[in-house]
Amino acid sequence: MKRQIPLLIVIILGFIFVIHVFVPHKASADFYDWYQTWIKAISPFMVLLGIMSLFMVHSTKIKRKVPNWQYSVITLASLIGTGAVGFIWGTQAGTPFMWLFKNVQMPMGATMFSLLAFYIASAAYKAFRARSAEATVLLIAAIIVMLGQVPIGIKISKLIPETSNWILNVPNLAAKRGIAMGVGLGMTATSLKILLGIERTYMGGGK
Amino acid sequence: MKLTFARTGFFLFLLAFSFLLLPQMTHAAVNESEYIVENLSTADIPGDDGSGLVISWKPLPQERRIIEYRIYRGITPDSLFFIGKIDVNVKTGVMGDVMYYYDTDYNYFLDTQAKGKLRREKGQKKDGSLFRRYPRDVSIVGPQLEHYDILGVIPEKDYYYHNEKIEVVTETDTTVYAGLKLHEFSGMYKKLIADHVYYYSVVAVSESRYYCQHAESVIGIPRENAPEKTDRFYAAFVEDVPRLQFEWKLAVFADDHLDHNVYLLHKKDFDKFNKYLDEKIQKELNDIAVKEDSTLAVYTPKSQNPAKLIFARYCGYPYTPSQTAFVNIVEGKIVNDNRDIDVKIDVKNMEDYLFVFSFTDRTGYETFSDVVSANSTTTDQLPIVPPFMIIDRENDKGDYNRVMWGKPIVYLTNSTYLNEKKTHLQVNYDFKTNKNYKVRNIFFKVFDEEGKEIAYVNEYYQDFKIKIKLPENGNEMNTLFFEMTFKCNNDVGEDYILTQILQYDEQTQSLAPGDLYLEDENVDDWEYYIYKRNYSDEEFRLSKKVAGTQREVFDNIRYGNVHFKIVKHFDDEKNLFLVRPSFSVRMDDEKKATIASNLYPEEFEKTILQYEDEIANYVASKDTLESEEEIKNADDAIEYYSKQVELMKDHPIQKVAASFNNPKERIKFLDKSRHYAKNSFEYKIVKSNGKGIFTETNIYIREGVEPVSDENIYLTSYTGNGIDHFFPRSNWFNLDMLPAVIAALLFGSLVFLLIKKAKKGHDLFIRPIAGIQEIDNAIGRATEMGKPILFVPGTSGIGDVATLAGLAILGKVAKKAAEYDTKILVPVRDYLVLPVAQEIVKEAHYEAGRPDTYDKGSVFFITTTQFAFVAGVNGIMVREKTATNFYMGMFWAEALLMTETGSSTGAIQIAGTDAVTQIPFFITTCDYTLIGEELYAASAYMAREPLQLGTLKAVDYLKVIILFLIITGTILSTTHLTFLINAFPEK
Repeated sequence: MKRQIPLLIVIILGFIFVIHVFVPHKASADFYDWYQTWIKAISPFMVLLGIMSLFMVHSTKIKRKVPNWQYSVITLASLIGTGAVGFIWGTQAGTPFMWLFKNVQMPMGATMFSLLAFYIASAAYKAFRARSAEATVLLIAAIIVMLGQVPIGIKISKLIPETSNWILNVPNLAAKRGIAMGVGLGMTATSLKILLGIERTYMGGGK
Repeated sequence: MKLTFARTGFFLFLLAFSFLLLPQMTHAAVNESEYIVENLSTADIPGDDGSGLVISWKPLPQERRIIEYRIYRGITPDSLFFIGKIDVNVKTGVMGDVMYYYDTDYNYFLDTQAKGKLRREKGQKKDGSLFRRYPRDVSIVGPQLEHYDILGVIPEKDYYYHNEKIEVVTETDTTVYAGLKLHEFSGMYKKLIADHVYYYSVVAVSESRYYCQHAESVIGIPRENAPEKTDRFYAAFVEDVPRLQFEWKLAVFADDHLDHNVYLLHKKDFDKFNKYLDEKIQKELNDIAVKEDSTLAVYTPKSQNPAKLIFARYCGYPYTPSQTAFVNIVEGKIVNDNRDIDVKIDVKNMEDYLFVFSFTDRTGYETFSDVVSANSTTTDQLPIVPPFMIIDRENDKGDYNRVMWGKPIVYLTNSTYLNEKKTHLQVNYDFKTNKNYKVRNIFFKVFDEEGKEIAYVNEYYQDFKIKIKLPENGNEMNTLFFEMTFKCNNDVGEDYILTQILQYDEQTQSLAPGDLYLEDENVDDWEYYIYKRNYSDEEFRLSKKVAGTQREVFDNIRYGNVHFKIVKHFDDEKNLFLVRPSFSVRMDDEKKATIASNLYPEEFEKTILQYEDEIANYVASKDTLESEEEIKNADDAIEYYSKQVELMKDHPIQKVAASFNNPKERIKFLDKSRHYAKNSFEYKIVKSNGKGIFTETNIYIREGVEPVSDENIYLTSYTGNGIDHFFPRSNWFNLDMLPAVIAALLFGSLVFLLIKKAKKGHDLFIRPIAGIQEIDNAIGRATEMGKPILFVPGTSGIGDVATLAGLAILGKVAKKAAEYDTKILVPVRDYLVLPVAQEIVKEAHYEAGRPDTYDKGSVFFITTTQFAFVAGVNGIMVREKTATNFYMGMFWAEALLMTETGSSTGAIQIAGTDAVTQIPFFITTCDYTLIGEELYAASAYMAREPLQLGTLKAVDYLKVIILFLIITGTILSTTHLTFLINAFPEK
């Protein structure tokens, strides 16, 4: 029963929502709206789950004094501190919470994001090493596309932007659509497996 | 003190938080008086319905770093409630010298989102006068109701079924109300009441959210004004009919408008009319002055309006009214019995007349437009409106009617030369059509200035651009003439030709499109107005106004109706707001009166008796009345009550309603009947040049349709429904989705067939996928190294199929890891993914027979913030030195940040995602990558169960079918056969 009831809920609701896609009727639309209100009601409980997990993991680390446990102290202190300033002074513009967001979280996030530029350069170097015929084709295509995006490309030859556009709009787009089609079918197959109860791993275990 | 790692961290943490106090400390040193707004004042908004005030003040200088101004209003100076705010950019400050806040129209008053208890505003002392918004507390809000015009918006079901009957007994009478809790209202909206006194104050809030002292409160009194003047009014005289046509621009503030009127003014009376207008303005000013100073003498205008009323129409508030009208002249007279209009007009000397338009409001004020003379025209100069029809829009939930007319239209939008020689030209076009004409081909013929055909394009697939090869002297061609024709599913006729020119434009240095002509008619000169009216409306309303190129509109009809009720009373003991229990069902066509009912049947009966008493009283009083006016008033009252009683007793809807014994059944009937009345519309179209030259169609009547049967009691008294009134229907199946249904059924059948085949023991070949085959080796590597495995199940939510696919792989990996007794770490970004992942890993350990090795802390939540999550995962990779990293699911920009770090720590990495943009990064930085669909195939591939393999194989077969359709479609389209691609919906 522990598995059958959740499975039954998934199967019934799953098929209802599949039908909803094909049925525009008011009854179907109303049911969907009603369901959306449930989502809103459930959301706050999901946040609790995350916070509890964070507390459990880091408090255990502090308790056991595992290596680098000090980071856990900072994590928990930041969690409590940020939450406290939010509750005490609110989250409007000009409050300490927003000050923390603007001056701590945003710069740190931006720092992580800006690392991406260096990582892309590193990844590009790895990808464009002409070790094989395929890598050589990739290298040439990349050079043409890059030159096609900058003014110097058209100065070298008018063919470069045209070829660049052709690469992007024909082979590149065809490959992307091919992948997208496969993904679409894969999603459908996975959804069908879940609906029919073939795939049950999401419930914990396969049987 | 030894500076340990922990102490350093704690110190840094304290330092960061000490900055929080910085903004507060910076404010402490300033002079409070410099932060009070100055020049706070209020003013009446002219030309409105008497409910508008504008509050103005001088903003504080930019160096005060104000972040917002908060506005407070109350009915006494010692209790002002927050009503709104204006945000300010701290860096730039306010540009002007004055700031304005408009307290006008119906705007927010109260809803369920409001706070439960009344709270003073921040920074206010115990005796402070500023409060936050009105709370949900009826005992506090209730006494405020009488000082405002409060409109409660109540969803139908709540009004009908969730009310409580409340009797309010006073010394003189007993009134019955329907009591509703606040949550039964979707919202309450307020309007100021004319001539009432209100108090306002403003508070500046600094960047550190310091609430500065409020300005001294000021008084504001909204005043009744005459309606605003329309700045556009046109009159046209159609000589051969003869008929007068009028068109005008609607007013912005129209809430209290009552009628739209047109007057006829003889030119010789022009001066008299101006004098009359002057006196009217003087009267309006005197009215306001007297209200402010009762000692002033009341001004009484002396002159009469010399203009004669020739047209009057109820404006139909709250909907956008019609903006066109016409009056027929019959035998030299304009007659309208309903409005007591009987005016002589000499059609032979129309130049002797002027016309003036006016808005009248509910308080009796009237504002006139400028006078205009009529432009003479004839019927053959009026536009021809193509036949139109109304049908229910298909594949919707029943909230749209489709209004369509005419044949398709195509027009050029711009052009671009494709080469320097200007011999290749790309012309962009657009076309409009409707359901009656499905466009198959558009033919473009291009002519040069000498009329020589230089290009012909058959646009069999409409991609909104055509390419034209011009002669070698293309750069000398300044004008190109286009002739455009159609081939549709229905014949448009050979003579249906649209023409347009492309002319060289110096500014853009390209060929720009000119006006579009359909035969001799310039299509751009005309607009279509769609007018509609339901069973509850007295007059037509303007539904849509569209360009002359348009060929259909979808008219939105909300299927969920609400009741608008004035809220004036309350019951604080029961926590209820009280509204009238009577409601309108529909308008009676013959009697031009509203058919009303009541939530409580007994109250309905009482109302009938009350009206009958009124009739008896008036009849009895007539003998004692002397003046003609009193007798007329009594007669009018008798006529009104008699009409009401007749409607309440004898109308078919009331008879059916009275036949129900069960009150709920009765209300259900009235609800449905009202729903048909509100949502069934009749339509007519006007084609106009916006200046009074227009043609108005008759109301559309669908032919060959049987009248509504009386068997459906809900359609009692709606016999024209489906013939002249159109009710949008909810559809049970979206026909556009038919190909998807067929594909789904086909796929389902394939899955069943192949599962059956696999179960019988047939070997279903699945091509080897290196990434999946290497999973075992990767886990083995971690085991050998004694290091943990990292598994990231994507960064999307549980509703993403890619996450589910990632979790399915997690199950297999976790089981293997448990068997090898290798630690697995699963950081997650989504709250809901966490318990699912925990359960999967736990179950995997149980299945592997190693429940003792399961550590709940190995599956943990980090954060929902994208890059903070990356920082967390990267930290784990570096600190734990994970030997194997799996990334399975949906990823965004964080993908490369994680995999590059993993690559630098020397871990073996296997990734799988359906995010096309991230696949290149995974391929570059990971050892193995599952591309797109391989992610979904992985769990089946690893499980090797017949059920899973059958599904996987079905996907392959469906791919073959799709590939066949793509190739066939490509070949057919290349040969101009587009039926296959047209068989699939565009979206």
